[in-house]
Order: sequence, then C-alpha cells, then structure tokens
Amino acid sequence: MAHMLVEANDVCLTYHEPTAETRAIEHLSFQINQGEFVAIVGPSGCGKTSVLSLLAGLMEPSEGEIHIYDDKKPGYMLQRDHLLDWRTIEGNIMLGLEVKHMATPENRAYALFLLDTYGLSEFRHHYPRQLSGGMRQKVALIRTLATSPELLLLDEPFSALDYQTRLRVADEIHSILRREGKTAILVTHDISEAISMSDRVLVFSSRPATLKHEHIIRLSGDNSPLGRRNAPEFKDYFDMIWKELDGYEKTSAQ
Amino acid sequence: MKKRLPNNCSPEHAAYLLEIDRKERFITIARYLILVGFVVLWEVFARTGVIDPFIGSSPSRIWDTLMRLYANGELFEHIWITLYETVVGFVLGTLFGTLVAILLWWSKTLSRILDPYLVVLNALPKIALGPILIVWFGAGVKSIIVMALLISLVVTIMSVLVGFNEITGEKQLLMRTLGASKLQILTMVVLPASVPTIMSALKISVGMSWVGVIVGEYLVSKAGLGYLIVYGGQVFKLDLVMTSIVVLCVLAAVMYYGVAYLEKKLVLWRTHA
Repeated sequence: MAHMLVEANDVCLTYHEPTAETRAIEHLSFQINQGEFVAIVGPSGCGKTSVLSLLAGLMEPSEGEIHIYDDKKPGYMLQRDHLLDWRTIEGNIMLGLEVKHMATPENRAYALFLLDTYGLSEFRHHYPRQLSGGMRQKVALIRTLATSPELLLLDEPFSALDYQTRLRVADEIHSILRREGKTAILVTHDISEAISMSDRVLVFSSRPATLKHEHIIRLSGDNSPLGRRNAPEFKDYFDMIWKELDGYEKTSAQ
Repeated sequence: MKKRLPNNCSPEHAAYLLEIDRKERFITIARYLILVGFVVLWEVFARTGVIDPFIGSSPSRIWDTLMRLYANGELFEHIWITLYETVVGFVLGTLFGTLVAILLWWSKTLSRILDPYLVVLNALPKIALGPILIVWFGAGVKSIIVMALLISLVVTIMSVLVGFNEITGEKQLLMRTLGASKLQILTMVVLPASVPTIMSALKISVGMSWVGVIVGEYLVSKAGLGYLIVYGGQVFKLDLVMTSIVVLCVLAAVMYYGVAYLEKKLVLWRTHA
C-alpha cells in the first residue's frame, strides 16, 4: 500500500480585490498517494491553478488545511519554460540549486546526469534562444527535477507548444517522471491530455472550484500517453468527462 | 568589407551577397564623402569670401588654433578637466540612479509615494538649479560635477525603473516556486534581465552628462572646453569656439561608442542566434 503524499482537507480560498471578493475554492478535499499521476480538469477560470499555488506554498488557504508529507518543496512547472536568456542551458538547470544554496558538486553532477540521460547534453553550453520550444520545456523539467522534489506540480506545461510537439513532449515528460518515480499533479484544460497521462482524473466544478467527479483511469495496452490514446476505453472516459465539464460550462454561462 | 563567399553557394546567392557588400560599401563611402565635402566647401567658401572667416572660421584656422593650443599645452589641460567632470558625473549619476531605481522596485509603496516628485524633478530644467549649486558647492569643479549628475540622474532612475518593471511577473513567479528570496529575485533575474535596458539608458545619460558639464562650465569654470567656448565668444574669437566644439564632438562620439561597445560585450546572449 503506497503511502499518502498530499492531503487537502476542506480547503477554501477567497481572493480579495478592491472591487470585489471572489470565492475561488469551496470545501475541496482530496488525497494523493506517492507515485501517483493525477490530472485536474475543470472549466476555464475555475481555480485549478489556485490549487497548485496553495500546494506550492505561494498562498495560504482561507480555511482548511493542505499537507504535503515531504520535507522538500514541490517542483513547479509553468506554462512557459521561462528559461533565463542570459544563462546557458547548464546555468539554467542549476538555477533551483543555486537559489536553495544546494549547488554542491554531487547535486550539480546529478543535474548534468539528467541532462545527459534525456538527450540534451550536447546543448549544455548553448543559450536557450538556440533551442526549440520542445527542448526548452524539457530543460525546464530538468531544472525542476534537479532539486529532487518528490512532488511535481505541472501547470498546463504543454499548452504553449504546437500540437505535434505537444504530443511528443508530453510523451517524453511522462516517461521521465515515471522513470524518476515522481508523484505529479497535472492541471490542464485538455481532456485527452489528462486521460492519456494520468492514473486518476479529478473533475472540478466551475468557480468556486470543488471536486465533482473522480475517475480512476484503467486503459488496456501500451502505457505511454501516445499508446493510451489508442486504447479502446479512451473514448468512453473522454465522453464521460466531456459531458461533465460541458454541464458546468452551460450552468456557468447562464 | 570583403567577405569570403561560402563554398557551395549558387550563383544567385553569390550575387545576393555581392549586392549586400556593395550596399555596405556605398554607405561607408557616403558617410566619409559628407564629412570631406563639408570641410572642403567650408574652406573654399571661407577663402573666396562667401563666408567671413572672422565670424564663420574655417577648417584651416581651426587646425591652426588646435596646433597652437597643443603647442602651449593648453589643449589637453582643457580636455582633461572636461572629460574628468563628465566621466565622474556620468558614473555617479548612473550608480545613484540605478540604486534609487532598485529601492523603488523593492518597495511599490515608496515608488507610489515618490512618483509625483520624480515627475516634477524630471520636468524641471536642472539648469535652473545652477546658482544654488554654486552657492552650495562653490564656483568650481564640484558644482559642475553635481550639475552633470543631476541632469542624468532622473532620466536614469526613470528608464531603469521602467526596465525593472518590464520583467514579467511570471519570471518572478518561477523564482518564487523555486523558493527564491526577494534579494535573489533581484540579483538573479531582475538585474541581469535589465542589463540591455540599463545600457540603453546609459547611452542617453552619457549625452545628458555632457550637457550638464558644458552648462556648468558656462556658469562657473576657469578651464575646460565649455569655458573655452564661452571665453572665445566673449572676446569674439570664433576660431577658438569652433575648435572647442570640434574637440567636443570627437570626445562625445568616443564616449558614446565606448558605452555602445560595452553594451555589445555585456549582452552577448542577445545576439546569439
């Protein structure tokens, strides 16, 4: 039995602005086990990203509690790679280590090992400008993995890529995370992406976000995201989640 | 400008490269032609009496004046004083300006409190402060340096601050997700990302510093190129005025290209294809 890594208990979050206060999250509870890959889908603007910000410790919940049973801060991957243009690829993957004053020879060697393992070592002394979008996003992942976090928060990390690259990079990143045995939470608005990558999909309602449905994904055949897209059950999951989300879009539009 | 043609290029591509080369050469030649033509016409007009050399001077008279100043050792004395004042004023203005910009970036509240003061200081012609500076710092080099500093300071603060605030919130968010402190965000992201903006701010403020120094020298000095210009004007020696201006042109250009060279060296990552 895998042990629990993330626990959210009755979490509420309210944003305050000069003109209004907005309830972003309403009595949200969920648990995530070590090694699980969980996707969160929901109508746009429903507060999915707020959940990640809470998990990353960038904000505090207004009510309720959120726990991560790990000493390290979770790694966070954003929509864009935000590689620093003036640093080489090597300099970029060391950024997290430098910020945390962890740039020991062993940790640096580990970061370079990751770069080598995932086929980017020849670009070590290149500048980000010289890399394609897909490669840049892989460098961003290695920057996140370099500090060896147990939990990874992925905030629509493929949405800035074109479709072809997106499928390929999702496939690669999925296999990297599996190989490194990481726990991951993926926020996305792309239902296919959620089903193809995760063990479990959490469906959020429109704002204020709360957990409405939960699907354990069991697909037959090849376990890579590209392979999973071809599984016979894929379409059923897709239709089910699509209908659930469509219902919220309609009620929130009224 | 002769570049070697790449080995396996088509005749069409070769023609294209040659065309670029020709254009480059034309621009360079045209630049020199304008200078030479201007000098030659000026000399010819002065000698044929189209312009009165007593009022309009002439290239040969400027050359003679330059040689005379050089011979009696005055030339480099004046150049040195003006250059010293400009460089010190420019460097201090840049340092203080960047420092203040960092403070204003650090505290949004402070920035909002001081905003109207910055606007007024920016709009105020700093030359109006001349008499006050003379009373406070004495009629000498100190006042001139302060004038140069003041003129470049506000411009530096404002343009560097704009550069800082252009750094996207998302880059800062990334740093926060990595657990960075505000000081780390400043030194690891905001400052290096702003180097291009700071450098283009420097190109503006280097010109501002020259204005400050020359105006300062008009007001108080006993030496320097600005002094020579005012003195020459008062005793009606237009040769001296013109000579000083020519020297000033050369110095200002050299300093500007110095900053531009520094910029090229510092933002190498921008040009990396």
